[in-house]
Amino acid sequence: MGDGKTRAHPLKPAAPLPYVDHFGLSPSDLRAVLSLALSSGGEFAEIFMEHSTYDFINMEEDIIKETAEAVGLGLGIRVVRGDRTGFGYTNDLSMDKVRKTAQTAAAIARGKAAHPLMPPPLRDRTSRASRYLVRRPADKASLAEKIGLVREAYDAARFFDPRIVKVKVHHSDSLVHICIANSEGLLVRDTRPMVKLACVAISEDGGKRESGYWGSGGRVGLEFFRDVRAPREIGEEAAREAIVLLGAVDPPAGEMPIVLAPGHSGVLIHEAVGHLLEADFNRKKTSIFWNKMGKRIGSDLVTIYDDPTIPSYRGSYNIDDEGTAPRRTLLIERGVVRGLLQDKLSARLMGGAALTGHGRRQDYSHWPIPRMSNTYIAPGVDAPDDILRSVRKGFYVASLSGGQVEDSGKFTFSVSLGYLIEDGQMTAPVKQATLIGTNIDILQKIDRVGGDLAFGLQTGTCSKDGQDVPVTDGCPTLRIAGMTVGGRS
Amino acid sequence: MKGRKTARPAPALRDLAEELVAYARSCGADEAEVSVVDGYEFNVDVRKGRIEALIEAGSRSAGLRVIRDKKTAYASSSDLERATLRRLVRNAVRRAELGNPDEFAGLAPPAKERIEAASLNLHDPSIAALDSRTKIALARETERLALRDKRITNSYGATFATNEIRSVLALTNGFIGEYEQTYCGLGVGLQAGDTDHRVEDSWSSSKRHFKDLESPEEVARKAVERTVRQLNPRKIKTRNVPVIFEPTQTSWLLGFLFGCVTGTAVYQKTTFLEGKLGQRIGNERVTVVDDALIPGALGSHPFDSDGLACRRTVVIDQGVLRSYLCNYYAARKLGLASTGSADGGGVGPANFYLRPGPGAPTAEDIVAGTKTGLLLIRTLGHGLNSVTGDISRGAFGLWIEDGRIAYPVTEITIAGNLGRILETIEAVGRDLEFLGPIAGPTIKVAEMTVGGQ
Repeated sequence: MGDGKTRAHPLKPAAPLPYVDHFGLSPSDLRAVLSLALSSGGEFAEIFMEHSTYDFINMEEDIIKETAEAVGLGLGIRVVRGDRTGFGYTNDLSMDKVRKTAQTAAAIARGKAAHPLMPPPLRDRTSRASRYLVRRPADKASLAEKIGLVREAYDAARFFDPRIVKVKVHHSDSLVHICIANSEGLLVRDTRPMVKLACVAISEDGGKRESGYWGSGGRVGLEFFRDVRAPREIGEEAAREAIVLLGAVDPPAGEMPIVLAPGHSGVLIHEAVGHLLEADFNRKKTSIFWNKMGKRIGSDLVTIYDDPTIPSYRGSYNIDDEGTAPRRTLLIERGVVRGLLQDKLSARLMGGAALTGHGRRQDYSHWPIPRMSNTYIAPGVDAPDDILRSVRKGFYVASLSGGQVEDSGKFTFSVSLGYLIEDGQMTAPVKQATLIGTNIDILQKIDRVGGDLAFGLQTGTCSKDGQDVPVTDGCPTLRIAGMTVGGRS
Repeated sequence: MKGRKTARPAPALRDLAEELVAYARSCGADEAEVSVVDGYEFNVDVRKGRIEALIEAGSRSAGLRVIRDKKTAYASSSDLERATLRRLVRNAVRRAELGNPDEFAGLAPPAKERIEAASLNLHDPSIAALDSRTKIALARETERLALRDKRITNSYGATFATNEIRSVLALTNGFIGEYEQTYCGLGVGLQAGDTDHRVEDSWSSSKRHFKDLESPEEVARKAVERTVRQLNPRKIKTRNVPVIFEPTQTSWLLGFLFGCVTGTAVYQKTTFLEGKLGQRIGNERVTVVDDALIPGALGSHPFDSDGLACRRTVVIDQGVLRSYLCNYYAARKLGLASTGSADGGGVGPANFYLRPGPGAPTAEDIVAGTKTGLLLIRTLGHGLNSVTGDISRGAFGLWIEDGRIAYPVTEITIAGNLGRILETIEAVGRDLEFLGPIAGPTIKVAEMTVGGQ
């Protein structure tokens, strides 16, 4: 908590460089390890070092029930030769163990070194500018202050309505220091903050029970909860959803017009488009999009970007987990496939495609793969009210709890709160529905796009190949001419 | 690339755990719990005959719970430097002060009985002795056999993985326990069909003992069958029909049920089964057991994270809810006894399964006895709500007409309610197999809404 930075190896003399502070490895140590990693013929070697601190507060049943603190320390070493990757990791950062990890990763190459063994001198390319706008760092704030935020959200939910019977509020914040060194001479660091405050409220009425969820945060400081989103609003929104659901009906079943609320409905774009434009699925030709570059796959109202550079968003970063400076990447332009989300391995194996800065990993014990960051559909020109009024009978998606896609383009997303649309008006609330479709089909059926682009809750996490990374999704109000709603009849 | 012949030195872990417990007490903790885990992981991915990735790594972590004045704080670390761990202990004791007293906080009293880890047969020494060449060859052979089938048009690759884990738990009440366990797994993922009409599926076998693992032939055959049976699917109109769950599907349904019978969910009111103890919640075909003592099974273990001996618990007995699964904390809150189910701060399953009754039918019998219905083979998405029991997921299946599989169906949804499903299970098959720690046989549910066009 208040103890500041940790040194992994108190016996080593303190040095002024932050990566030495955190990891006890000097640039010349790192260069020697990289050289060892290349010693059996690897073409590329990389050391990813990570030191993280994490704080957590749980309030339930009207008490601060528990707090937790976690420290993560480790490094992963990757050696690539052709399309083969060797990988090892350790959380013992003694030079002996680090060298052994390098040898393990090097074993993939199983040959003679074809290159000069010693990589070029490491040059620190860390930029001074950061897109994490933090005025009151959570790691420096007192636990009492964070408990204050938790209580505010808790009380707002608890006393929102007499039918709220249980409330749970979680606060978490983390600070992750990473340092990447590779055999191309790159040495780069990033220090990434993350804050999240989330509330679950349970409502009960006449034997019926429902739950509501709301949360917020991002790569921000605690000022966020004063200036942007008050904890009170988070508690109230969770409670409001739980209360509205008490009066909700079962979803209708069958194919019907869908209107998506702005913001979190971006999950649709994340699932339907984003995953299948990750470069690895296209390099391996498992994605339905692999042969569709430059081809029209959707309505010309659909333009989609992934942008890791949005200041302080949950999915944003200064550098990706391979040390590449990220850029806003155009995926779909007016219905035409224009780009992929690349990491170093796929870009090289796809004939030297440009890097986009989307190589991400969960932590040091995983290697980087192409991932999304903040994915959104660009705003159109329609007025949201006009879009709603254009539907005589359909389904309005207000709040989503997640989704999933497979490479064929079949995808689903789960609606935690929706509304029936009757004669252009939202009427009865609807609970727990799943929507299913095939991406190309649905992208062609997007026929109205609003001008009201918004992003979701800043609490989302995306899973792929067993790795979780923080992401956000955004979209304006939009209409899909027809999609299958999985309801009960 | 030789096999590893030596086990890791165990006493160091045990000493570390005991030292931290003593240190926590000296810092002012009334009670403390320290767990230390040491793991070794090997993983090889082969795709289209070539090694795509090779991972080998050892890692350690420590977890800590301290209680002072009935206030609880947790900490964990993958940095096992003594200075870091001691700082975390001191912080936790200090941080506990800022919490609120909780009358139910505290360690369980020392366990009266102990289960010998050796009797559970959780550790296979032959796994550490496997050399890399053998492990790589298993993955390569599995994929090669699968790709021989001309209907298979692409591969996600095959994986062989092993894990060796040593766990130590030390408590201020004097408990100290440790055990070793192993896992190994072999799997392959495939696609069939042309580019714009692909179908996909995978199969994997996961066991504690290498000799129990399915052969490359079996894994490849199952993966191919599961993939190609989905080729040329049709869409269907929305209708209410009986739904047959394959064992892979029964297992997620049981995973959902598990979340609804934990003591934690009960006191938090996040389960529709709150207040139902002793009541009939399903028909007489439903008997669900959580058993930590099945020798060699994936979910078996000798003691839980409270240091209590694990056991066999009948959760639902012929439709009657007999027991929630509790750690010591949840049990105290609910006025029940712990079932030895503590898992970190929460409640975890051992081997949680739906038990076939005497004379249970085969899966084939169940299909043959269904005039019209859906055989559920895969699901997509997360629409499970434990507060209400509501289920709504994307689905893939095989349509049944006149007791026969007629054609695959795609782009459908299934919707229903777990409470209703338990009441209307029409058949529980005999094909129970522990593909994972949560398992069930083929079942038939009287009616669910299958959403389509």
